[in-house]
Amino acid sequence: MTKIKTTGLFLGITGFCIPLLFNFPGLSLAGHLAMSIFLMAAVFWMFETIPIYSTSILVIFSQVLLLSTEGIIDYSGIAGYDPLPYTRFIGTLANPIIILFLGGFVLADASVKYDFDKNLTRILLSPFGNRTSTIILGLMAVTAALSAFMSNTATTAMMITVIIPIIAKMDPADPARIGIALSVPFAANIGGIATPIGTPPNAVVIAALNQQGLTVAFGSWMLYALPLAIVMLIVAWQVLLRLHPPATEMVSLDLDSKLQTSPHALLLYITFGATVLLWVTEGIHGIKSSIVALLPVVVLTLSSAFSKQDIRKLPWEVLWLIAGGIALGISMETTGLASWLVGGIAWGSLSSLMVLVVFGAVALIMSNFLSNTVTASLLIPLALTLVTSGALEGVFGMLMVGLVIALSASFAMILPISTPPNAIAESTGVLKTKHMLLSGSIIGIIGLTLILLMSVFYWPNII
Amino acid sequence: MKNKIYIFVVEDEPEVLDAIVRDLEEFENIFPIEMADSAEECRELIDALINAGNEIGLILCDQVLPGQNGVDLLVEMQNDPATEHTRKVLITGQAGLDETVRAINEADLKHYIAKPWEKSDLVETTRKFMTDYVLERTENPMEYMSVLDGQRIADYIRKEKGLTDN
Repeated sequence: MTKIKTTGLFLGITGFCIPLLFNFPGLSLAGHLAMSIFLMAAVFWMFETIPIYSTSILVIFSQVLLLSTEGIIDYSGIAGYDPLPYTRFIGTLANPIIILFLGGFVLADASVKYDFDKNLTRILLSPFGNRTSTIILGLMAVTAALSAFMSNTATTAMMITVIIPIIAKMDPADPARIGIALSVPFAANIGGIATPIGTPPNAVVIAALNQQGLTVAFGSWMLYALPLAIVMLIVAWQVLLRLHPPATEMVSLDLDSKLQTSPHALLLYITFGATVLLWVTEGIHGIKSSIVALLPVVVLTLSSAFSKQDIRKLPWEVLWLIAGGIALGISMETTGLASWLVGGIAWGSLSSLMVLVVFGAVALIMSNFLSNTVTASLLIPLALTLVTSGALEGVFGMLMVGLVIALSASFAMILPISTPPNAIAESTGVLKTKHMLLSGSIIGIIGLTLILLMSVFYWPNII
Repeated sequence: MKNKIYIFVVEDEPEVLDAIVRDLEEFENIFPIEMADSAEECRELIDALINAGNEIGLILCDQVLPGQNGVDLLVEMQNDPATEHTRKVLITGQAGLDETVRAINEADLKHYIAKPWEKSDLVETTRKFMTDYVLERTENPMEYMSVLDGQRIADYIRKEKGLTDN
């Protein structure tokens, strides 16, 4: 165990014990226990003492043990908390947003299995020609489009296999090599914001909004976030072109693609198209996106296009991670911990824009060093409570702060540890951390500014 | 200190040994290269490195050595669990058919490089087998991407999901 992990273990246990040893006036017993769980989870997530998905599982376990009707504490004679059945906590694993992600995972993994992602990329890249600058734009556009529906990490890994031969043919002194190597992870991070299934922080925020009775349709999320993704893609492209101007006008691109035509592959293409179409048209037909998400799971498994082995290889730990984040929010809200925590600050004196600035900036900074999902999980319960304290206005305020947190968390890309796509790009050895630090900082700051501008000029007009 | 994956070169002629190691210098930052001029010396070094928690990813071995010959060394390594997965390559001018067959059947010989060798052939062979090794034997092959076959390692991440969104 490294020093950092040991420190985390010590601090996490200390954090867990503090609320057990001290009495915080105004906070119920259940609130104290919820705080124990919150502090332990926050420390373990930050120090990665144990894998982040294990921390999520530990959260759910602790909640069942300490905060449920079936747990070890009898709340019948204690005021201030009406314990939840344990199914509320373990049920987060079947939360509609988890099912939505499951459908997305099956589509994505089946696409990888039949090389649909790779071949589609080559087809989509062909109109972008041979000019270095437009090819970079093409790479970014395709990466972002795919990562809106697949995991950012898998998309980046796939795109790296596309760009390595391009980079290998370029002059080693050409700055555009660095630009190309950065364009892929940056576009993947940006593309993730475009749809609810693009990246896990979106899921945590949407689930938290659902708990408040606010449903966010697939198409609505795209309406809020897609324009920002497009603008940010162009911004990132321009930033990279200016920082790493291509020395050669043209690059050669080998785009041999051959879509597989086996019956299973064809079925996948149809299912993929139909699912995405039904998702984005939720507003017209009214079938919930998480119900639509069952379609690829059913069709691809009953036809054996997606086998038992493939099911086993799904990234289940990501679903655990999201579920833990959702569960943490539930206990913080129902025990009154969240409102107690934010109650100590005079938020009323801040304008609602200032509240958004604070949460956006904190999310951006935190997720540069922490997992994006963890950042959203820690911030969203606090942010949503501000509505009850009056600092934000009702349903509209909740949606705004939710969007600000989710989107800001995805714009954190200054270091290899900020996101897995950045880590992959750094591993290629083409670029140095200082390159990522500079362009990632510029993109993060512009991104946060644009999010805040949207919260003033765009979202109020369409929500 | 983090444990390392070593590349071994066993060759009794000092000039040849130097030439091989020079050709492989692009790997040295990530995979330290160890040299030995006899099978006996090689085994001592390997034992010491393994005891310190390191691994041997690849051995490039001459057939004709003073004392025990190269094929015997490779067969012995194949029968030792600690070096069973080490990728084994013969680099030689004069291995007979019998010896080569034994190396393939009993030492799981992966490749045969005839002397004189081309630098590009040696480098590509090393890259291929070290990539095989890290994909099969390490938890995070991404760490070695910069000197190995990046396309294969990225594709592995894509398919096996060693890394997922967080």
